[in-house]
Amino acid sequence: MLKNYLKIALRNLWKSKGFSAINIIGLAIGLATCLLIMLFVLDELSYDRYNKKADRIYRVDGDIKFGGNHFILAVAPDPMGATLKKDYPQVEQYVRFRGQGGLLLKKGNENVQEDKVIYADSTLFDVFTLPMLDGDPQTALQAPNSLVITATTALKYFNTTQAVGRTMLVNNRDNYKITAVIKDIPAQSHFNFDFFVSMATLEESRRNNWVSNNFNTYVVLKEGSDPKKLEAQFDALIDKYVGPAVKQIMSIDMAEFKKAGNYEKQYLTPLTSIHLHSDKTGELAPNSNIQYVYIFSAIAFFILLIACVNFMNLSTARSANRAREVGVRKVLGSLKANLVKQFLTESILISCMALVLALGLTFIMLPTFNHLAAKEIKLDLLSNPWLLPALLLMVLITGLLAGSYPAFYLSSFKPIQVIKGKLAAGFKTSWLRSGLVVFQFAISIILIIATIVIYKQLNFIQSHKTGFNREQVLVIHSTSPLGSKAKTFREEVVKISGVENATMTGYLPTNGWRNDNPVFADPTLDQKKAVSMQTWDVDEQYISTLGMELVTGRNFSKEFLTDSSAIIINEAAAKMYGFTEPIGKNLYYLRDINTRSASVLHVIGIVKDFNFTSFRQQVTPLALLMGENAGNTAIRINSKNIPHLVTQIENLYNKMAPGEPFDYTFMDEDFNNLYRTEQRMGVIAISFSALAILIACLGLFGLAAYAAEQRTKEIGIRKVLGATVSNITAMLSKDFLKLVVVAAVIAFPLAWWFMHSWLQDFAYRTNISWWVFIMAGVVAAFIAVFTVSFQTIRAALMNPVKSLRNE
Amino acid sequence: MIELKHISKWYQVGGKPTFILKDINLTIKEGEFVSIMGPSGSGKSTLLHILGMLDDANEGEYHFMDQPVHSLKEKQRSQIYKQHVGFVFQAYHLIDELTVYENIETPLIYQNIKTNERKAMVADMIDRFNIVGKKDLFPTQLSGGQQQLVGIARALIAKPKLLLADEPTGNLNSKQGEEIMDLFKQLNKEGVTIIQVTHSEKNAGYGSHIINLLDGRIEKTN
Repeated sequence: MLKNYLKIALRNLWKSKGFSAINIIGLAIGLATCLLIMLFVLDELSYDRYNKKADRIYRVDGDIKFGGNHFILAVAPDPMGATLKKDYPQVEQYVRFRGQGGLLLKKGNENVQEDKVIYADSTLFDVFTLPMLDGDPQTALQAPNSLVITATTALKYFNTTQAVGRTMLVNNRDNYKITAVIKDIPAQSHFNFDFFVSMATLEESRRNNWVSNNFNTYVVLKEGSDPKKLEAQFDALIDKYVGPAVKQIMSIDMAEFKKAGNYEKQYLTPLTSIHLHSDKTGELAPNSNIQYVYIFSAIAFFILLIACVNFMNLSTARSANRAREVGVRKVLGSLKANLVKQFLTESILISCMALVLALGLTFIMLPTFNHLAAKEIKLDLLSNPWLLPALLLMVLITGLLAGSYPAFYLSSFKPIQVIKGKLAAGFKTSWLRSGLVVFQFAISIILIIATIVIYKQLNFIQSHKTGFNREQVLVIHSTSPLGSKAKTFREEVVKISGVENATMTGYLPTNGWRNDNPVFADPTLDQKKAVSMQTWDVDEQYISTLGMELVTGRNFSKEFLTDSSAIIINEAAAKMYGFTEPIGKNLYYLRDINTRSASVLHVIGIVKDFNFTSFRQQVTPLALLMGENAGNTAIRINSKNIPHLVTQIENLYNKMAPGEPFDYTFMDEDFNNLYRTEQRMGVIAISFSALAILIACLGLFGLAAYAAEQRTKEIGIRKVLGATVSNITAMLSKDFLKLVVVAAVIAFPLAWWFMHSWLQDFAYRTNISWWVFIMAGVVAAFIAVFTVSFQTIRAALMNPVKSLRNE
Repeated sequence: MIELKHISKWYQVGGKPTFILKDINLTIKEGEFVSIMGPSGSGKSTLLHILGMLDDANEGEYHFMDQPVHSLKEKQRSQIYKQHVGFVFQAYHLIDELTVYENIETPLIYQNIKTNERKAMVADMIDRFNIVGKKDLFPTQLSGGQQQLVGIARALIAKPKLLLADEPTGNLNSKQGEEIMDLFKQLNKEGVTIIQVTHSEKNAGYGSHIINLLDGRIEKTN
């Protein structure tokens, strides 16, 4: 029986090759997209699961409100880990990470800047599963100046993974000893470092400072213990340990601290939810977002659904051709169940063929997709034991889903009617088919609108006034090795022709350092009037080099000797203090928390707000202080021959700091890097929208063919009565256009709602203008008419004598 | 074998019933060869379809081999039908995607007959109808007469007791028509009960009875 079904299915497919091709290609594109997204989502969901204790590892995160500022932290105070282990028996172990920037290493005679560096407690290997190739996990990170490196790094520096006992010269000063070599960290990890330095190296790790949050702290709970129960005791823990520290610094106790509207909360974030759910201050690396997993899963589902809808539509539209066969089979004794099975076999066969094609397509598209998504996903059917069964299941479900409606629809024909040649369901009468087309187009229109809005927002980010000019700015990183010569370097650089200006500072709006401090409005250091803000040490060329604008007041100047105690604040800070006439006002800046000595600063100017975090956040208070900080040097250039200019600057640098790596970026690139995720997701969303529309068009193309075929007689009669080709084309296109209009009406509010919610993520965002909807509607209508016109014009050109003869 | 009692069939047209068959009473014994005649629209085909269980009557009783067909469920009806009834159409209604061999084989598949047995049965039938050379051809490659021959072979493959034919020679030329009618005569002699619908007096003459229909009623029987 099955053989018979397969045979007739194959012959049917072959007989109507065009139809089969549309069906198979449409399904294949749908399945391929689905497969790609499935691989992407699985990759995203697998983060940090390589850890054997993944289910028991938690990061201690903080939520602190203080001085009008709100911090959501991925970091905790330095004594937190040890205290938790000491006070709570359910804590099995802890480990802390502390990022302190990169290290300058010697490879032969060459200096190499390494950035994937972290300081870690010796308990690292009790918490995370990082298999060792050489060395002892118990002792590796105990002694100060110990270094654990990954296999790749070991090969890079020593040409062997058995590098224990070797030393590395760090920052041209200290010799660190390699104590272990670990396997490379899996790509699916929320941290990815090449160098682990023993925490004992850092004096800061032993300060027992409860009010400074700098350590990413992870705890492993004992098996079977409830993280909620531990979390419930955090409030008491904070009162006990943070309370005295607050008292010492601000001379208020916890009750007063809380009464002033401040709070400090700590909580546990499961390790496995960090990658997709955590976007806090102090993350080890930018994480992904669960939103994208949801969005892509939904897109995958809808694309597959569109492909299935095509299948259903084309099959039922074609039912006229199959109806006679159904009738005859019924007369020959076939039960309805037999026919349902036959048609399902057929649709599963088609989806199997589509799968084969889809695997090929996925294989072809994967490199591009990996490039777009910055992933290293492989399509390996054998190494992923779940993949093949999952695919087969997907094919089966697709086949059943796509085939069930045609199967039940076709098999329910009354044999006597179809044999007599009376076919009940004409094209126009099938509301279900119209409904499905509306559905497809509604999804396509939503995707078009989403694409336009995403692009509009990306454009907005590019063109929005950031408050500084990022074009033609060269940033030379870590000019600190120049030491005292850094200032001379700046002065020399400005002399090069093509250089307009230069400033020396570690603090830049696009990247670089951040420094958050409370700044008080009165000399009693009343913390109620404190504003927690960024305080950046900059020189007097800073504002002019970066093209910032002063709203009022003046810039720092060498002429005023008192400018060492001057401060320029941004508009946000001025607003926070409630100053109406800020110039000349005094602010108090805590230099040393222990002695509570404050320096008095007088406001000399207000700088227009500039964005120094991503557009997702509002501009927060910020202050510029005059100081010398050789972290970076930002150079404003104006030259046609940029490579030549860069070489000149590099030569100067090498002359002043021989052997140091010359590391530079352009500020606009740094800026774009902040939005790389959005750009990446934008491109992916556009690609998928295009695919969805393509599949919908394939379906429409086939449907139009059958609509024209079904109305052959009507077209013939109309032509005999004098209709022109354009009359007929218009008549046939109108039916489809109506459906597009209905689809648009459904899609517009949904799309508005989706995109409105997406934009809420940005503090600075574009609006969804009316023309977005008009454009999406017009595009959809144009695509529909264009697709349909092939068929309608052909039908309209047909000779009426031919179509009327066999009636 | 067949007994119809007060069979009526109607359609609702504009709220009023339009009768296609009205109060048909009919008995057909096993081994008979009945021709149903009548002008277009007299209800011939509908009567044949009801007899063939492809259509239901709105009213009345239908007993087939002592089974009350009118009160049976679809599945049981299909069972009787599969075993005892063969159908021949004016337009042959072969399945275009299947070869001659496969077309003839199809009813057996639906009766869950085993492959080997099926092969033997189909081979016998093909032999008997002298179409061995054509068994791998598709219907579109055959002439009308040959297609109808295949249609009859297919109708007979399951060894039905009753053969229903709806103008079996309607699309054929007179020579082909005669051959088909001779075949029917032959089959009838072998014991197959045949009911055919025809326009042609000549073809009706092959039967043992003629039933004349007019406007849904039996006008006369002879």
